[in-house]
Amino acid sequence: MASEERTSEILDKLRQAVYDFEEDDAVKWAKTALEEGVDPFVATLEGLATGMIEAGEAYNRKEYFVPELLMCADALYAGLDVLKPAIDASGRTAEVKGSIVLGVVEGDVHDIGKNLVKMMFEVAGWTVYDLGKDVPLDKFVEEQLRTDSDVVGLSALMTTSMLAMPEVIKRIRAKNPKVRILLGGAPINPEIADKYGADGYAKTAGTAVDEAINLLKMLKEEEGRK
Amino acid sequence: MSGHKDTMTDRERVLALLDYKKPDRVPIWPFAYQGFACVYTGTSIADAYNKPKISYEAQKKTCADFGWVFTPMLGYAAYGGWELGGEIKWPSGEFAQAPTVLRHPVETPDDVMALEVPDVKTAGIVPLLKEFYDISSKEMLPNEPFNVMAFGANMSFTLAGNISGPDKLCKWMLKKPEAAHRLLQLANEHIIKLAEYWKDLYGVDGVLPLGGEPTSANQLISPANFEKFAMPYIAEVNQKFLDMGYKHLYAHICGEHNANLPFWARIPQGNPGIISIAQEIEISKAGETFPNDIILGNINPAIIQTGSPDEVYEATKKNVEDGMALSNGYVFSPGCEMPPMAPVENIRAMSQAVFDHGWY
Ligand code: B12
Repeated sequence: MASEERTSEILDKLRQAVYDFEEDDAVKWAKTALEEGVDPFVATLEGLATGMIEAGEAYNRKEYFVPELLMCADALYAGLDVLKPAIDASGRTAEVKGSIVLGVVEGDVHDIGKNLVKMMFEVAGWTVYDLGKDVPLDKFVEEQLRTDSDVVGLSALMTTSMLAMPEVIKRIRAKNPKVRILLGGAPINPEIADKYGADGYAKTAGTAVDEAINLLKMLKEEEGRK
Repeated sequence: MSGHKDTMTDRERVLALLDYKKPDRVPIWPFAYQGFACVYTGTSIADAYNKPKISYEAQKKTCADFGWVFTPMLGYAAYGGWELGGEIKWPSGEFAQAPTVLRHPVETPDDVMALEVPDVKTAGIVPLLKEFYDISSKEMLPNEPFNVMAFGANMSFTLAGNISGPDKLCKWMLKKPEAAHRLLQLANEHIIKLAEYWKDLYGVDGVLPLGGEPTSANQLISPANFEKFAMPYIAEVNQKFLDMGYKHLYAHICGEHNANLPFWARIPQGNPGIISIAQEIEISKAGETFPNDIILGNINPAIIQTGSPDEVYEATKKNVEDGMALSNGYVFSPGCEMPPMAPVENIRAMSQAVFDHGWY
């Protein structure tokens, strides 16, 4: 077992490897963590994921841009690949915070923002079912039913494709009125999200997860009241 | 109503601006209205891209009906994916607005190193561009300052991103810079061949080389990477066009490029250049950055589709006031593509605001 001091050093190296997008270091320190008996859950959450959250903050400050975030994510996933077998072998399952079906609506290929949103949900411990871009409307409905996800997140970057959103929302609600629907993308704002019948809106990938957690809380409260 | 009477045609207005003179009033020259024109005239958005004759006639009628400068245009933002060997699909269905890349020509840095630029004459949409320019170069109407809008200037970085997918270009800039630079060289090699092809076919008179740069916006990349990976390549191509005898180039600076502006200012655009800015850039800032160039812009296209006619009128009026305050030449345009699904009342309100408030 690593000492407390050594553990915090290893966690810090993991965090730094992600933040500096040093994939090799992320792998090296993930291996070290396992060799020295650091809990792989702790290594994931307090090491790798913390680095990714800090990278997200650097993005909000315009110190990091999309390339930097994508490289941080690569380092994060490389470290996770090392830790994952140990997590599985421990028989413990990580507490899943929620699950979300995510995609860019039909007609629209702008997927860079959606990919960042996906990363932030994964870092926060959500299960993400990513449908990709230019997603036919019924695919959202089918995937939500198949996976019984709590939230569906829709992205659109154009005023043309954004018109698909109310239609998807209608179709999802017809099958499953309980699902919470979250919208995002440059032309969307809270008023439009409201008008389209969505439950929530987030302006950035960073705030998307908080918004989704709020939606789930509200859902639980509603159910509690019934 | 303004009570003013036109004393110039739209062609004369733009030619005056190109000669550093003020026209009688602000011309309306929207960026990329091909999709809107096809919807407005009752055909489909796909026709705007793959039926040159229909697209040309639709644009001609739309400009005549709304009092716009006619600059027949064909081209699309995802250009390069298909042209360098991948696949696209045409827009279809209710929500699509433009062609979409289905498969990129390269996946890995090794693919990039092995890629060769295919024959430009048969590449992707190029035969359709030629068919379109063949039609447009046949006439020069009184509302037409240029009759061939030759695709190719001001688009190197975006084209490179379309070859690999922008996410890969982004990553390679940081971790495999040799692959990123090679991709950009391939983009330029293609564009330079294209430029020579256009010059052979249509000469330089009445031809305006143009393009746009969404993928190098600061929504994606840092100004430092713009300086390293976008600026030199765009500048190389633009200089080539100018050396070939083109006098003016058109740049659509798409998205939020504020931190890139000092670098844009170093890219040659001709005398004067024609700079179309997105809604994310202040008109006054553009005027300062490009003191010798004509500024086109820049109301938010989303308002044109989703606002009320009054909102569109007010946004346009404000923009015209800001634009007329510049010492630069100014042309009214939305900040990006005219939304194809914009209501006709909104389009009328937009034009009307310029007719009412755009007089010098
Ligand atoms: C890069 C870009 C492209 C690239 C896209 C590459 C790709 N694979 O994504 C290319 C060159 C291919 C492209 C093509 C086109 N584009 Co474009 N493009 C852009 C640009 C400059 C940046 C978009 C971007 O990636 N931003 C960076 C990311 C990180 O930000 P984001 O997407 O906004 O995401 C953040 C938030 O919105 C939020 N978020 C996003 N999704 C979600 C989802 C949920 C659930 C939540 C909670 C939050 C959330 O979190 C993200 C991170 O913080 C925008 C400009 C703009 N103002 O957005 C134009 C823009 C979107 N494009 C535009 C246009 C017109 C086009 C074309 C139609 C042009 C054409 N005629 O060919 C084509 C369409 C192609 C198609 N079939 O879809 C217009 C749309 C106008 C309109 N009608 O509304 C824009 C707005 C430009 C403008 N100034 O008007 N484009």
